[in-house]
Amino acid sequence: MPDAIVAHALAKRYGRIDALQDLTLRVARGECLGFLGPNGAGKSTAVKMLVGLVRPTGGAAEVLGKPVGDRATRARIGYLPELFRYPDWLAAREVLAFHARLLRLNDAARAVDLVLLEVGLSERAGDRVGTFSKGMQQRLGLAVALLGEPEIVFLDEPTSALDPVGRSDVRALIERLRARDTTVFLNSHLLGEVERVCDRVCVVDRGRVIAQGTVDALTGQTRGVRVRSDDGWRDYDVAHAEIPGLVARLVADGVRIHAVEPKQTTLEDRFLALVRHE
Amino acid sequence: MTVLLFAGLTLRELARRRLVAAVALLTLAIVAFTAWGLHRLATAVVDGAPIAEPGVRATAAGIVILLAFLFSFVLALGAALVGAPAMAESIANGEILAVLARPVRRADVALGRWLGTLVALAIYVAVAGGVELLVVQIMTGYAPPQPLGALAYLCCLAGIVTTAAVALATRLPALAAGIVAALLFGLAWIGGIIESIGLALGNQRLADAGTVVALVFPTDAFWRGAVYSLQPAVFATVTVNATSNGGGVNPFAVTSPPPVPILAWAFGWVVIMLVAGIMSFRTRDL
Repeated sequence: MPDAIVAHALAKRYGRIDALQDLTLRVARGECLGFLGPNGAGKSTAVKMLVGLVRPTGGAAEVLGKPVGDRATRARIGYLPELFRYPDWLAAREVLAFHARLLRLNDAARAVDLVLLEVGLSERAGDRVGTFSKGMQQRLGLAVALLGEPEIVFLDEPTSALDPVGRSDVRALIERLRARDTTVFLNSHLLGEVERVCDRVCVVDRGRVIAQGTVDALTGQTRGVRVRSDDGWRDYDVAHAEIPGLVARLVADGVRIHAVEPKQTTLEDRFLALVRHE
Repeated sequence: MTVLLFAGLTLRELARRRLVAAVALLTLAIVAFTAWGLHRLATAVVDGAPIAEPGVRATAAGIVILLAFLFSFVLALGAALVGAPAMAESIANGEILAVLARPVRRADVALGRWLGTLVALAIYVAVAGGVELLVVQIMTGYAPPQPLGALAYLCCLAGIVTTAAVALATRLPALAAGIVAALLFGLAWIGGIIESIGLALGNQRLADAGTVVALVFPTDAFWRGAVYSLQPAVFATVTVNATSNGGGVNPFAVTSPPPVPILAWAFGWVVIMLVAGIMSFRTRDL
């Protein structure tokens, strides 16, 4: 079975501006990739190229083994755009029914009910989109993306309009997708979210990939240890292998230790270091 | 068929956004006003005597052409202001992104929007135009020689403006596409007058300039076709005589139906514009 996404030197140029340069990446089936970068880094352009909305000016890419934009393959893809918008004069169920017809789903009514339930919109299914809050519209966008059980889902900032409860729901949703072996391409500014749900991360800046690897590989470097004693928390700048010796020495010195935490680089620390070129 | 899906969506949107209700109410008001005016004409007393029936009918024939003239402008504006947003707004506000990520041809979206707008306008022409002609007949006894032909010509006129609006809206914002399409219609109307003046004065350059405009935006042939279908035969005879005697040019009376090659070109023009619009939309980054 081919990889879910294979991109080689994918590039997009608008006039003199390189929106994306040399994007080379591979996403395996069932994998969750976090696609990170500051504003204007080229993240949404990359997603739009992979779903066939923007034509690359360089390189090539395949999604589910077919060149990007392949019409039949698009039936196996779900996409939540960053600027999600659905006709405000239609009810949520009508929006989904329209997309179900575009997908030519056999049991459209059941498929619509399932995704409404999945995103927590069942009770508002008959209400017009125009009466929805931004968060509810984003939930509807997620439902549209999940319709027809796609093999790969591109989520471009899926939690930008959601409150903490909504964000937690989306995290749970992504975990359910992973459990079903659905590939998830997650474009998000919320690094904590990415760190929690993604297997791998790709960081882009000014149109170029500046780092990619597993979350562990990017965040796993320890920078010493934090020790809580009767006097509170205190940092010690020691290597990972020196931690047991440090603890033994403190105990021998009569320090009452309550907790020991290795100080790990968070994805946010790593991301900021990368985009600030530190 | 996906084209029909998008055409249906366009029609549903027009109905849900209360445009249909608003247009229906305004049309009713216009019909009522026309009926009142025609009633006053039919029952008017001049020099102590009612106007003779032939006089009432001749006046009614003139009024019908004036009404058709106003109706053609309303149609052209309607085609521009409905067709352009039907295509451009979903692009501008991002609604199209999730749709085009589906297994959908961009051509189907453009053709569906075009077809939906065209069907809406055709229904409007049939209902509003049909009711107006019926009211004229009831109030004055005048029936144009080819009412269905006139309505068909007006539908085609609206179809050309719709085609331009939708094709332009694959690249331009709704407002710009709508205004350009409406202005092109106005330009074509002026081009038709220039052509008539050229022919009447025997000035080939003027006539050729009008012909060029008619080829670039071929609505005037359909306006002339509508007038020819609505006017009594005597109008054409009077116009022929006036023109041959060096009289003025009258855009509200024509001497012959539009030539078949011009009508054929107009249908070819619609196909060319649709293909151009689709090609433009297919290559557009969203």
